[in-house]
Amino acid sequence: MPPISSLIKFGKKEIYLPKFIITLLHTPQLPPTHAKFLVPLNFNKLDLRDYLYHVYNVKSMNIRTYIQQQKVQQDRPGVKAPQPRRWFRPRAIKKMTVEMDKPFVWPEQPENMDAWSKEAHNAMTKTQQRQDTPEAQRDDHNEMAEALSRQAKDLLAGKSKWKPTWVDYGDEVEVERDVRI
Amino acid sequence: MAALPIFRISRRNCILSQIDPVLSFLAPSLQSSRSAPQTSVSRFSTSSPQWARDNNRNRGVSALRRTGPRRRQTLSVKKEDLPLPVLSPESKTKVEVDEDHGLWGFFNKERRLLATPEEDLAHGRAWTVQELRHKSWDDLHSLWWICVKERNRIATEKRERHRIRAGYGDFEADDRDQTVRTTQRAIRHVLTERWYAWEEARKVARHDEKVDLTGQGPAYTPLNIKDQFEVEELTEKDTGVGAESAEEVTQSQDRARPGRMGRNEPMVVSSASAA
Repeated sequence: MPPISSLIKFGKKEIYLPKFIITLLHTPQLPPTHAKFLVPLNFNKLDLRDYLYHVYNVKSMNIRTYIQQQKVQQDRPGVKAPQPRRWFRPRAIKKMTVEMDKPFVWPEQPENMDAWSKEAHNAMTKTQQRQDTPEAQRDDHNEMAEALSRQAKDLLAGKSKWKPTWVDYGDEVEVERDVRI
Repeated sequence: MAALPIFRISRRNCILSQIDPVLSFLAPSLQSSRSAPQTSVSRFSTSSPQWARDNNRNRGVSALRRTGPRRRQTLSVKKEDLPLPVLSPESKTKVEVDEDHGLWGFFNKERRLLATPEEDLAHGRAWTVQELRHKSWDDLHSLWWICVKERNRIATEKRERHRIRAGYGDFEADDRDQTVRTTQRAIRHVLTERWYAWEEARKVARHDEKVDLTGQGPAYTPLNIKDQFEVEELTEKDTGVGAESAEEVTQSQDRARPGRMGRNEPMVVSSASAA
């Protein structure tokens, strides 16, 4: 095997303190010799090849690039009252697929998700998602109406007796009798 | 009728030539008009004009048009003999992953898919600027790259956590990421400080006779005359003055710190270049 510098031409501009992030993507649909990365938009194939070799010691020959355009959405993300027809398109995503010399398989997914409290998290997200829907409001209203009708029926049938909600504490009693005004 | 194949014309003429005697007898007017093209057509081919078919057996069989094989065509392979694709992952061959594969750098040290929130939260504070001021460039540079790889790992795990809907853990990962970024900011802070110290020292050294910035020969050549500091020391020994001169000594040492203009310029340069 000849040295990789004779096979691949590397760039000459040295970058000492980069700020960008490279994310490895899970791609079971690709062969094990392929790996996919999320890269910054200004990255090119040569950049990624240099980066992977010098930082992670991954030798990659062929690289494919794909820029994923994002969908247009109403107003900017996180706006409380989105304006109509104020369009916003999120920044595009750049993905690169590299072909490596050695295969790589991702580690197995953990079976027990207790460390992440998956059940509690799912339940919480479910209630949060349901909270603001009209179905939830209608259900709450129906529950209250049902309870009220049950109470009324019981009262009419004589099962329960009506009681006022206020409490009778008797007549007022002057506490400080010895105070002269 | 732009281009009538020549063989067709000739074939028609051949048939005509057989019926000719009858036609000429029954309709003599036709003969002159019919016989006119016969004289104008010349035969370019010497082969027999009456082909039943061409001898290509695969005429009309095309893979591009998906015609399929022709009738009674026997292929070398039968459909039943073709190997079936392996679809189930259990029966596929296990891929041997290299222990030193570089992509393990995108995972945690135990090489599990995800670090638990407890593990992500088990970190100390970020490096402070005061601590990093004592470090060399090599130390700072390697620390920076450790931070870069850690941020890549955190981003990969975050995406994976969302993909498999693992649950909680985003807060812990973001907290760790923020700590790493604080360290990176401190590194840049220290390096910026050093650059300004060097730049100011360079400005001072440009007007100093003792310092040679051309890069040829020694950078610092002390002058023959005694420094003010040494003269003071000598006079102090001679006269025996104590406290006041000691104060002066400390003051002159203060001036020798990097980034300050003082009388002891070469010390400024040497300390800044060592940093």
